[in-house]
Amino acid sequence: MLTASQIAGLRASVGEGGLITGPSQLQTYECDGLTNFRVMPEAVVLPRSAEQVQAVVRLCARYKIPFVSRGAGTGLSGGALPAAGGIVISLARMNRILNVDLANRQVVVEPGVINAHVTQRISAQGYFYAPDPSSQSVCTIGGNVAENSGGAHCLKYGFTVTHVLAIDVVLPSGELVQLGSPTLDTPGYDLPGVFVGSEGTLGVATKITLRIVKRPEVVQTLLAAFDSIHAAGQTVSDIIAARMLPSAMEIMDALAIQAAEAAVHAHYPVCKGLLLVELDGPRSEVDALMLAVQKLCRNNGAWEIRVAQSEQERAMVWKGRKAAFAAVGRISPNYIVQDGVIPRTALSHLLDQIDRLACAAGLRVANVFHAGDGNLHPLVLYDQAVSGQEEKALELSYRILRLCVDHGGSITGEHGVGKEKQEALGYMFSEPDLATMQLVRCAFDPENIANPDKVFPRPRLCAEKPGPYTPHPLETAGIAEIF
Amino acid sequence: MTTSAAFTLEQGAARLAAIVGAEHSIVRGETIVAAPAGVQQVAEVLRFANANGLTVMPTGSGTKLGWGNPVVPDIKLSMKRICQLRDHAWQDMTCTVEAGCSWAAMQAQLREHGQMVALDPLWPDRATIGGIVASNDSGALRLKYGGLRDLIIGMTVVLADGTVAKSGGKVVKNVAGYDIHKLMTGSFGTLGVIVEVNFRLHPAEEHSRTWTAVAPNGAGDAKLFAEPLRALMDSLMVPSSVQLRISRNEFALDVRIAGLAECLDEYGASLQTTLGDFPIVGWAQNVWSAREQMFDDEDSVVLKIAALPAEICSISAELYQWSFGDGRDVKVLAQATGLMTVAIEATPELVPALVERLRARVHEFGGSVVMLQIPDALRGKIDVWGPDQGSGALMNEVKRRFDPGRILNPGRFVGNI
Repeated sequence: MLTASQIAGLRASVGEGGLITGPSQLQTYECDGLTNFRVMPEAVVLPRSAEQVQAVVRLCARYKIPFVSRGAGTGLSGGALPAAGGIVISLARMNRILNVDLANRQVVVEPGVINAHVTQRISAQGYFYAPDPSSQSVCTIGGNVAENSGGAHCLKYGFTVTHVLAIDVVLPSGELVQLGSPTLDTPGYDLPGVFVGSEGTLGVATKITLRIVKRPEVVQTLLAAFDSIHAAGQTVSDIIAARMLPSAMEIMDALAIQAAEAAVHAHYPVCKGLLLVELDGPRSEVDALMLAVQKLCRNNGAWEIRVAQSEQERAMVWKGRKAAFAAVGRISPNYIVQDGVIPRTALSHLLDQIDRLACAAGLRVANVFHAGDGNLHPLVLYDQAVSGQEEKALELSYRILRLCVDHGGSITGEHGVGKEKQEALGYMFSEPDLATMQLVRCAFDPENIANPDKVFPRPRLCAEKPGPYTPHPLETAGIAEIF
Repeated sequence: MTTSAAFTLEQGAARLAAIVGAEHSIVRGETIVAAPAGVQQVAEVLRFANANGLTVMPTGSGTKLGWGNPVVPDIKLSMKRICQLRDHAWQDMTCTVEAGCSWAAMQAQLREHGQMVALDPLWPDRATIGGIVASNDSGALRLKYGGLRDLIIGMTVVLADGTVAKSGGKVVKNVAGYDIHKLMTGSFGTLGVIVEVNFRLHPAEEHSRTWTAVAPNGAGDAKLFAEPLRALMDSLMVPSSVQLRISRNEFALDVRIAGLAECLDEYGASLQTTLGDFPIVGWAQNVWSAREQMFDDEDSVVLKIAALPAEICSISAELYQWSFGDGRDVKVLAQATGLMTVAIEATPELVPALVERLRARVHEFGGSVVMLQIPDALRGKIDVWGPDQGSGALMNEVKRRFDPGRILNPGRFVGNI
């Protein structure tokens, strides 16, 4: 519980209009896109400048008040779940694009700028900002930095970290530092490299210098329908073996297609495995490679191949794919989105195993994945109203993650660990691996106040030795549970 | 041997011999050279060193040992015996390689499946994976494929206390946990010993061509290249590499484009159109070794300047002007990424003022000037790394957490970390 003087301190930091303490308004901030966990923050501040963020964080540091920074709250792993007894720092009002420097292919933004707005600002000049998470029309660059967001096109263009040159960060002490610089290879440790993807546990980004990319001469998108998801997967392997690097390769299974059709009428062919391949680059090269891709599709039994003939057709193809998560709501009352990664070659085997597990649990799993980089998004469908089904669905989704690790993959390709996958991180990494990561955490945040109790299986204090798991106070109080 | 050590050099070598074998623990001058055979031996050596306060310098083939501040370690940890390509999952386009493997040996094996780690570091025949990663070296391919930050997907390191830690993994897309491998990349062996690296791979550039353009009428002004360079970078072409070579003997712009064989003629024609009246005069592939040649004269000072891409022509022009003073010569190799390598021949007393001037120049936009090669006469007279750019205290704290006893390459890195 914050004291009256602490509330007053926050008010002085951000002004009356920048402070929320009313319970009904606070409710907006009690969770992010992962709604299983909810914690009401003590207060929410909406700073308008780095100085205001500093003032807030200094106050938090003085009184050891935990803080969680938040962009648009679209995260799917609970990264922006408030800390009990803590405050939320919403960066929504720091939403200015500060500088566009086309000559150096850079854009400087505040953290609350919406991802898609960066591209909108520079598209007339022929440039774009490459990371394109499905939520890009609402998610913010600050959130992307926290999660190291990817998207469908990171197969070719890389992730958020590929596109971040410099970050101004308010450290958990309240000090403002610049990590990296607008030029490459700033002498010293690659602190921006480790800050990106640290899920808000190392400080608050207040200004980000982004690399932008020249828009390719042409973009061609192909849809191919197969009788099995394995045939679609084999085609992906064949494309890679033919030394091509498409900008995106996506696969959807029958359930996911059905859901996307119900939601946005993308006019996908009705099939068991739908492959989407996008190539971009110089026209002559893309034309030749697209013919080669079509041949590989046919070799693997594709019975319908469509190449989008206009920008509108292409947009519609992507609309269906990007809407897939939400669309599953049309065919199931509840669902869990997972985010595992496997080596591409394990795809067929893993899908068989998922099938078996789903059958055994009596549940349906829709599969949507970034096939080029092995990033699976199994959607476990269930009905909360049916007693015991949610528990089964959760267990199934975690068994899928463990399978990914068993196949040499990862528990998260782009959604982050957050609150949701803390225990799974312990399955993926050994105690010494995690202890090494904690050294970074302790260097940045020795008091453990920046988004505490996230990412790691059990946050330890910086002077504490490794020990057995003990329940978090939130669990003991029945406010949240680890699953 | 550190004066506080409880034993002599020979006794220390004998203790290490018990870990790595007698023939792999040798006394050379004031240093023990120990060559462990695997990650567990690396961990044991470090535990021993840490417990006894002995300083350690991890080494590969030693091609870049002169970079950074000099360190005379108690133990040189040679990684030469840990040198295998452990795994090439070519269908997944990833590989796992040990730190002591030479760059060229790794690439030769990857090429068997038409793949590569898309980076062209210095001295690939000798330089090792560990040394290249620890110094964050990169060449002209960086324009298209990015640097090591973008190519490394996982790593195994041994910390000063012998902890063996992994980060990342063997899949390209992975946001689980902190990316310790990014922290280790470019840390000059001050945070841990890199034992194994996982790379993402790219298709090898089966067909590529290099075009070299010069200024019209042989004009000798680097600033003239600014406009064709801008036009090229703003065009729809996708070059793998673009570099500017400036010296008293040459003013040249090199462009390499890879693609389908049947497209290369078309790219050449487009390039000539884009460059306007800057004629293409050559097609030699060997221009890409120009960066290595900067280091040929051991008496030269070699600088790495990190500039904004749009500034490289004007900085090159300034350096060219400077070279006309008495007893001076300058060669500039500027990449379109903004990274420049500059070789300077001059009497040592002229160099500090030039470096300070350059630092002031690039500081305006956040750039940096690092002295990679420096004659002994200048050692100690100028900071090879340049001033703290604002996060020095945080870096020191990271170092303190990872290596509280300061045994790993103490003093070598930025701010004497």
